[in-house]
This record gives sequence, C-alpha cells and structure tokens, in this order.
Amino acid sequence: MSVTHVELPASSHIHPPPDTFIKKYVFSLDHKVIAIQYFITAGLFLVFAGLLAELMRVQLMGPNNHVLSVAVFNQAYSLHGTAMVWLVGIPIVTGAFGNLIMPVQIGARDVAFPWLNMLSFWMLPVAGILVFASLLFGAPQAGWTEYPPVSLQLPLGESLSLWCAGVFVIGVSSTITGLNFLVTIVKMRAPGMTYTRMPLFVWATGVTAFLSMIATANLSAALAGLFIQHNFGVPFYDVTRGGAPVLWQHVFWFYSHPAVYILILPAFGIVSEVIPTFVRRPIFGYKAIAYSSAAIGLLSFMVWAHHMFTSGLQHWEQLFFMLLTMVIAVPTGIKIFSWVTTLWRGKIRLDSPLLFVLGFLSTFTLGGITGVMLASVPADAQEHASYFVVAHIHYVLFGGTIFGIFAGLYYWWPKMTGRMLDERLGKWHFWLMYIFFNLTFLPMHWAGLMGMPRRVATYDPMFAGTNLFVSISSFVLAASILIFIYNAYRSARYGEPAGPNPWGARTLEWMIPSPMPYYNFRDVPIVLSGPYDYGKPLPYANISQDLAMTPVR
Amino acid sequence: MAAANAHAVSDAEYAEVSGHRLLGFLFFLISDCVIFGNFIFSYLYLRNAAPLWPPVGIERPYLYLAAVNSIVLFGSGATMHYAMEGMRHDRRSQFIGYTLATIVLGSMFLGGQAYEYTHLLPHTTWAGTTFGASFYTLTGLHGFHVFIGVIFLIVVLLQTLRGTYTQERHFGLTAATLYWHFVDVIWVALFFLFYIY
Ligand code: HEM
Ligand SMILES: [Cu+2]
Repeated sequence: MSVTHVELPASSHIHPPPDTFIKKYVFSLDHKVIAIQYFITAGLFLVFAGLLAELMRVQLMGPNNHVLSVAVFNQAYSLHGTAMVWLVGIPIVTGAFGNLIMPVQIGARDVAFPWLNMLSFWMLPVAGILVFASLLFGAPQAGWTEYPPVSLQLPLGESLSLWCAGVFVIGVSSTITGLNFLVTIVKMRAPGMTYTRMPLFVWATGVTAFLSMIATANLSAALAGLFIQHNFGVPFYDVTRGGAPVLWQHVFWFYSHPAVYILILPAFGIVSEVIPTFVRRPIFGYKAIAYSSAAIGLLSFMVWAHHMFTSGLQHWEQLFFMLLTMVIAVPTGIKIFSWVTTLWRGKIRLDSPLLFVLGFLSTFTLGGITGVMLASVPADAQEHASYFVVAHIHYVLFGGTIFGIFAGLYYWWPKMTGRMLDERLGKWHFWLMYIFFNLTFLPMHWAGLMGMPRRVATYDPMFAGTNLFVSISSFVLAASILIFIYNAYRSARYGEPAGPNPWGARTLEWMIPSPMPYYNFRDVPIVLSGPYDYGKPLPYANISQDLAMTPVR
Repeated sequence: MAAANAHAVSDAEYAEVSGHRLLGFLFFLISDCVIFGNFIFSYLYLRNAAPLWPPVGIERPYLYLAAVNSIVLFGSGATMHYAMEGMRHDRRSQFIGYTLATIVLGSMFLGGQAYEYTHLLPHTTWAGTTFGASFYTLTGLHGFHVFIGVIFLIVVLLQTLRGTYTQERHFGLTAATLYWHFVDVIWVALFFLFYIY
C-alpha cells in the first residue's frame, strides 16, 4: 500500500494481555472491560434507584396513603435523584459508552492512562455504597440538591456526611475520567484523524470530558464546603452566622447545570452515529453538529442561575440568565434540525437502535421546549417546584439520556458482545417503554400547572385520578426494562454471531472483529477522510481483520 | 544518555508518553484551579453580603508576616527555576542544591503560616465567622498544597539521587516544578484577596 510512510505513534503498544482472572475481570486495564464493568455496576444502581421511584409511585397512588412515612418518602426522592444522576446517568454515558467506543473510534488501542481509568471505575461502587449506606442512618431528605438550611436542619446523624462523601468520590472519578478522555482525544488519534474527521460521538465525548473536568472539580469543592459546614460548623451556608444558603445554590448549580449537558451530550453523540447508519446517507451538517456541541459546552457555564429565579436574584441577573438560557436552545435546535434533515426522505431502516433515536428526538424535544418555558422568569415563578419540573427533568433525563443509552446499547451490543439482540423483542421493548414513558410523565405537566407541588408524599385529592393513572403507567414503564434484560440473556445464549459490521456502518469500531480483540487494531489504522460519506469507498488504510494478538508497530 | 541508563523504552516513546502525562498534569492543575476558584467565589460572595468586613471583633490578618512569607515563597519559585536550569544543562550539583533550597524555603513558608494561625489571629476561628471560614479554608487549602509540594520535591530529589532522572528524561521533575509554580501563583491571588483588598 502506498501509505506506509505515515509516522506511527511510538507508544501504540499498550499493556500486555492479563494472565490472571483478577487482572482480566476485576482490576482490568482494558477500556473495553472497564466499559462493561461500568454498564453492570451502573445498571445495578439503576435497578435500586428505579425501585425507589416505584416505591414513591406506590405511595402516590392515593392522596393520603401511608405506605411510606413522610420522612422515608423524602429519603426516597433524595436518593432516587442522587443515584439516577451520579451513579447511573453520568457513569453510563461517560464511563461506559465513552470507554467502550471512543478509543476505538479514534483508532487508539486504549485510553491515555489505563491505570487512572481503572481507578475511576472503582470509585463508582465505593460512591454507591457510601450513598446508599446513608439509608441506614436515615438518608438525607433535602432532595438531590441538598439545599441548606433544610439539609442542615434535620436530625441527620451521619447521613449527610455519607452523602457528601459518596458524591465527592464519584465527582473525583468523573473529573479523572474527563482528564483521561481529553488527553486521549487530543493526543492519541490515529494518523489522518483530524478533528473534523472525528466521529460525532467523539466530539460529544470530548466536550463532555471538558465539562466533567472543570465543572466536577467545582462540585468537589462545593461538597467539601457543605461537609465542613455540617461537621465543623464552618459557616459558609449558615445564615445565623453571616453565611448564605443561596451561596450553596450558586456553587451547586455552577456544577449541576453543566452536569445536565454531561448527561445529554453523549446521548447526542449516539444519535449522531445511529442516524446516518440507518438512513445510509451522510449526516447533514457535520460541522454544525460538532461545533454546536462545543458551543453548548461553553454556554452551559453561563446559565446556572436559571435554577434560582425564585431565590431572590437581582433583576439584571434574572434577565441575564433567562436570555442566555434561551440562547442555549439555539445550538440544541441546530442539532435537532440537522438530524431531522438527515432523516428527511431517507431510506429509513426502522431497527431498534433507530426506534430509540426517534423516541429520543420526540421526547427530548418536548423536554427542551418545557425547558425554555421554565427559563422564562415570570413563567418559572408559577412552575418552580411543581410537578411541571418533575415532568421536565424526566423528559430530558429519561426521554433524552435513557432513550439515548438504549439506542446506543442496541446499536453497539453486537460490537460489545459479538452477538445480535433479538429485533422483535427490541421493538416490544421500545414501544412499551415509549408509550408508557409518555403516559407516566406527560400528565405530570398538567398536574404541575394546576398547582401540585413536587417532593410531597400527600397531596390535594383533586389530583387523585391523575396520580393513580401515572403510578399504574410507571409500573409498566419499569417492567418494560425486563424485556431488555431477557433479550440480553437470550442473546448471550442463542444470539446469532454479529460479524464485524452488522449494520453496515462506517466508523472505525466496525472495521474490526466483534467482540473487539484485545489490542483493537492489529496495525494502527490510517484515516483518509470523514466517516459518514455513504456511497463512497471506506476512508481507511492499514485495516486488517486479522485477529493476531501481537500488535504491529 | 539513554543508553547509559539502559531504559527499556526508546527516546521517542518516552517523549510521547511524557507528552501525554504533561497534558494530563496540566488538566489536573486546571481542575485544581477551579477548586480554589470555587472558594474564592464563596469568599467574595460572603464578603459582599456582609454589612462590615472583617466582621466586628475580628482582626485583619497581619500584613507584614504575610509579606515576608510571600517573599519566601516567591524566592522558592526562583530557586526551583534555577534547579531545573541545572537539570537541563546536566549540572547535577546545581539541581540538588537549589532543590534543597526550595524545600527549605517551602518549609519556612509553612512555619510562618503556622505561626500566623497560632499567634496572630486570636479572635478569628474557622467556625466562628464567615471571615474565618473563608480565610482558613483558602489559606489552609493553599498551605496543604505547599505541604504536598514539599513532599513531592523531597521525593523527586531522592529519585534524582538514585539516578531516576537524566538530562533528557525527567518528566517527574517537570511535573514537580509546574506544581510548585502553580502553588506560587495561587498565593499571589490569596495574598491580594486577604491581606491587601
Ligand atoms: C421508572 C422511571 C422513573 C420514575 C417512575 C421516576 C419517578 C420519580 C418521582 C416520583 C420523583 C419524585 C418527584 C417528587 O416528589 O418531587 C422523581 C424525582 C427525580 N427523578 Fe425520577 N423517575 C424515574 C426515572 C428517572 C431517571 C431515569 C432519572 C435520571 C436519569 C430520574 C431523575 C430524577 C431526578 C433528578 C429527580 C429529582 C429528585 C429530587 O427532587 O431531589 N428519574 N422521579
Ligand atoms: Cu440548568
């Protein structure tokens, strides 16, 4: 081949294959194994957090139920939110998908610091244990946001400390992962893989990594502040000694707004991979999608106080944060526009990954629209702390992040395991989940607008019918995940072998065998152009399907 | 040089791996900066919210000791710089001497800070007021960084004596130097915010 004169990276060798069980499956350095560890661990936490949600829904089946005491109900939503954000959402979209796919898509054999990667993963179970252990002492009751003074008032014992410690640990893990991924993307792209030839999932992961690095460091500091306030009485947030509860809201949301983009950008990346594959045409507006991710990343640091419109901001602050929040809808809209244009009049193949993407597009768009409604200061004064907000967060976090996660799982499952999932079960899973997701969360918009507050264990009987309906729908919604679990089991036992490229996609991970061999690539691939030019020859050289375990320099 | 140390990795490989580590270390420093930024924001926010600053009955921190301490710390930045110059030109004794000086100056800074905490601020406590909260949290966090820096320097000095680093291959020293200068720069901000502003 005429391209052999390209300089290959000197360190393209990596750690040798592990020889013991422990090194292979427990303290593994391999990004692909670590990804699966993330999936399994975060999946377990998803089950816990989901059960907490269903417990709440059981309590809310009637206006005055006594299934849970008020205190336990408070603990349930606090831990449900905490776990869904930090132990489920963020670890899956960054640790799991980022690890599984990003290094392969840039043609690397691993991340820059495999050892740090292992450390990041092992912090997840530690954090989970700390957070859930707080239940033993009566978990925190002030929600996933733990606003003082409430979070400092209750007879808490050790629980707030445990909560702070757990979230701190997962925050450090997320910071390290961000740093690791960013160095990987900057330094370890295969020859010829320029920034504008990177797959869009890599763009999304890169911006997410930047956000994890900056914003999450801030979270660690904020949590340290809450911890020393709680344990040593250092009066950052204690208003009786000159502290300011609103200060906590500032430092918390300075992290947690970027965090919602940490949760959604990788899902955007997944969508951008799935759509061109199943429509078989180049993605419309590659650069628009890539740069809008970067724009979202930067803007996301300038909108945090839209969560605090009712906390006594100055008028100019309200105006500033309202306008910037609305501006952030523009790059997001650009993405939606590009995706829809790619789909428009395409030969769409409606397999389960694309179904989940279509589900994502519809529900996330609705969540985005209610987001803009909440960004409007006068409207937010009415909607704040009502079920309208609960509906909004679930449309973006469930309808966005979780649907994106399932799209990615159905798409990359064959790559990860080497076996296909059952398409018919996939469709059942999608339709049940999609329908009952909407039946669960859509009615909450009206309940909220009619005045039902969030975070309440009992409510006005006028909402009884709506809530009963919502609860029953939510049981079916949760049950629909069982279909996926069965599908995964079935695939492991009877699934047909996938082969390297079952969907006919064009990014680098599909150029190698499934499951991916230890060194990913036998030879370091050489990239000749962008990944989405359907109809043209594949843009790679130096690719070999050979499974040889010795990497060639 | 490389052959003399019989390293298993080639020069190109060492250069590439330390390139990765250097970028990673810079990213770490950036996120560390964010942590200081968070507490500085908190300090300014609380200060802005307070009717009187420092609050009644609280002394302003003592400028002169802090000024002397600043000179000590900036001096240590200079000695660190000369130490690295020594390493770059393969003058080992220069490296060792100046690194020792840096360690001594860093420890003097910590001593000064300990004296300030114990003798000069009798009415300011960590848990007492928002002033004490921000002052001790930020300067304490910085002091902790200096402490870690001193340990870091001792470790790389011992490693140098054992021959770990050479004129071409000394990523660990580069990291320690960067860290030390970073801690210096943070001190500039804190000195201004607490002793002058
Ligand atoms: C079966 C699916 C789910 C159900 C039935 C459900 C139900 C609930 C309920 C009942 C609440 C408490 C509302 C309140 O009283 O204020 C809640 C809050 C919340 N949920 Fe979910 N949820 C589900 C999935 C998710 C997912 C997938 C995420 C994120 C990835 C999520 C994130 C949150 C957050 C952040 C809160 C706010 C907690 C707080 O108020 O502190 N939920 N959810
Ligand atoms: Cu926000």
